[in-house]
Amino acid sequence: MNQPLIELTGITKILKGQEEPRTILDGVGLTVHAGESVAIVGRSGSGKSTLLSILGLFDRPDSGSYLLDGQEISRLPERKAAKLRSSHYGFVFQRFFLLKHLTAAQNVAMALVNGQGWLPRRQRRVRVMEALDLVGIAHLAKNRPTKMSGGEQQRVAIARALVRDPRVLLADEPTGALDTETGAAVIDALSAATHRGCGLILVTHDRDHAARMGRTLSLANGVLTETGRVHA
Amino acid sequence: MMRLSGRFRSSLIIGLQGIRARKLRTLLSMISLFLGVLAVVTVQAGASIAERALMSDVELQSGYDGTVVIDVMPHEKSPSIVSETVAGRNDAVSLIGTSAIIGEPGVSPINPGGAPFDQGAWGSTEICDNVGNCVPGPPTGEAIEVVLTAVAGDLLTFRPLRPVSGDWLAFDTVPSLAPKIVINEEAAKGFRDHQVPAEMRVRGAKANMTPQIVGVVHDGDYQPRAYVRQDELTNWMPTSSLIDPNFGGQITVMTSSGSPVEQVLQSRLRGAGAESYVNVVQNRKEMEKQLMLMRLIFLSMAGLVLLIGVAGILNVGLATVGERVEEFALRRAVGTPRTLLAGIVLAETMLTGLLTAAAAIGAGIAGLKIVSMVLGGSEPLLANVQFPWDAGVAGILAGIIAGVLGGFIPALRAAGIPIATVMRA
Repeated sequence: MNQPLIELTGITKILKGQEEPRTILDGVGLTVHAGESVAIVGRSGSGKSTLLSILGLFDRPDSGSYLLDGQEISRLPERKAAKLRSSHYGFVFQRFFLLKHLTAAQNVAMALVNGQGWLPRRQRRVRVMEALDLVGIAHLAKNRPTKMSGGEQQRVAIARALVRDPRVLLADEPTGALDTETGAAVIDALSAATHRGCGLILVTHDRDHAARMGRTLSLANGVLTETGRVHA
Repeated sequence: MMRLSGRFRSSLIIGLQGIRARKLRTLLSMISLFLGVLAVVTVQAGASIAERALMSDVELQSGYDGTVVIDVMPHEKSPSIVSETVAGRNDAVSLIGTSAIIGEPGVSPINPGGAPFDQGAWGSTEICDNVGNCVPGPPTGEAIEVVLTAVAGDLLTFRPLRPVSGDWLAFDTVPSLAPKIVINEEAAKGFRDHQVPAEMRVRGAKANMTPQIVGVVHDGDYQPRAYVRQDELTNWMPTSSLIDPNFGGQITVMTSSGSPVEQVLQSRLRGAGAESYVNVVQNRKEMEKQLMLMRLIFLSMAGLVLLIGVAGILNVGLATVGERVEEFALRRAVGTPRTLLAGIVLAETMLTGLLTAAAAIGAGIAGLKIVSMVLGGSEPLLANVQFPWDAGVAGILAGIIAGVLGGFIPALRAAGIPIATVMRA
């Protein structure tokens, strides 16, 4: 088999708050290949988002190894982590996080105007329109988020995640604020990215959406275990 | 290089988007900063205009900076030596000062000693012989005494005398037997207030002359003074009589630095046993200390006002960063480096500072135009006064500095926003 896209081994994260230290992740291991989709389910507070933060280089594990394309990246300095986030990762959040004062196209372009290289305006526009087209809302490019439905806003967020053609797509409860039908459409849009070789890690509470991923992993008591696999 | 340029452009684009999205806040920041920047612009403009005015007043009498001034002590041969050395040269001018009484013949002047007309007599009307025996002079009549400066060369190259009316002496014509004179404003007062006939008495002249007044200038002198072509004066008296060592007098040569006149003249004067002293005009250097002190005092006051504006930017900046926590966390999530986040905030505050500076400079220019229009008639220095470019530069610098100072802490705060906690919320 090919080299895994992502390989976590023995990831541990302990939260040191005002109370006693609490182990959130306890030796978590995870392997994701290019074009593979993985759902992570678990109860609230089980550490799903913490795991996603570590996967997305927002946070560092206390111990363990994180390989991306075989390269250890768990201890990267912030400058390099930012560069990697820009070039290899796409993020979709439950709350869309669109900027109200920008149009859909400008919100998508935000991922291109981030100080990691420079694209001339024309090329930027082409990339943005391609990304919006991928999620089927190119016609809403000039609309502001306030004039869009929840599903449309989440599609803009997905377009923003896809505009740099990422290797890994991390989605944290992307359907949490949407109705069933719209949520299903969003999952379709995310799944489509895996057909282009992108690895998808979806954190969700929704068992139906999880079932549409290639594998389902459950996080409980800091331990990640596989609970389902779809065989092609 | 490419990356730096990309970051710079990114911070400008995002900064401008931020300003457009929060127009009211930007306006409030600008208002709080406006007075501070305007104070800096006003102080700098005022200091520059004052300095220019002061300089131009000093230059009126002492000459332009860099001019070499040779003061020649009275000596029987010095007028001739000076005249011969300067003759035909365009890089030097000689000024030989004597006194003249213009007006009714056989009377004492209204202002003996060439005193200003509102200061009473400086000299005596008595007539004394060489051994000091004095007898009362003739009664006072319609005559005025002026300091008469015989000019050889283009004086205006070295001293910026300001024309008030008429013309300056023309040196390209045949010397007239009726000497043309240009009087200063104080002398003009005498002609205005008294019925003075056109007859001029000069000590050592073979006869009285009939002067023609061709112009009035402002020369910064408070004594009544008349300027005359030396060759027109020497039609009536020998050059050696221009100075009488017994009665004093003044010979000054002004020349440009590097001119051979200085060396030749000094050698010739030394040879004749006449003393001379050389100094180079350095008005700006001499005035710099006192101007700098004055400017520093006013700039410190303006700086305090600016500080209030900085506090305003800081306040608005912190509030804005607090509101934009999610935006900054999101930008970090999509790969924006911390330095660029700080750059975005600084770009916004600096652009705000620059916009404010532009507004303050505009207000300064408009204000100066109004002051010039309203007061220009009564105060010649303010007539047609131009906005000094260094005040504009000071305004822009003040705007940028205020933007950087006011944006620094918000920028640090923006750069330190953690992604994980915000995105999880």
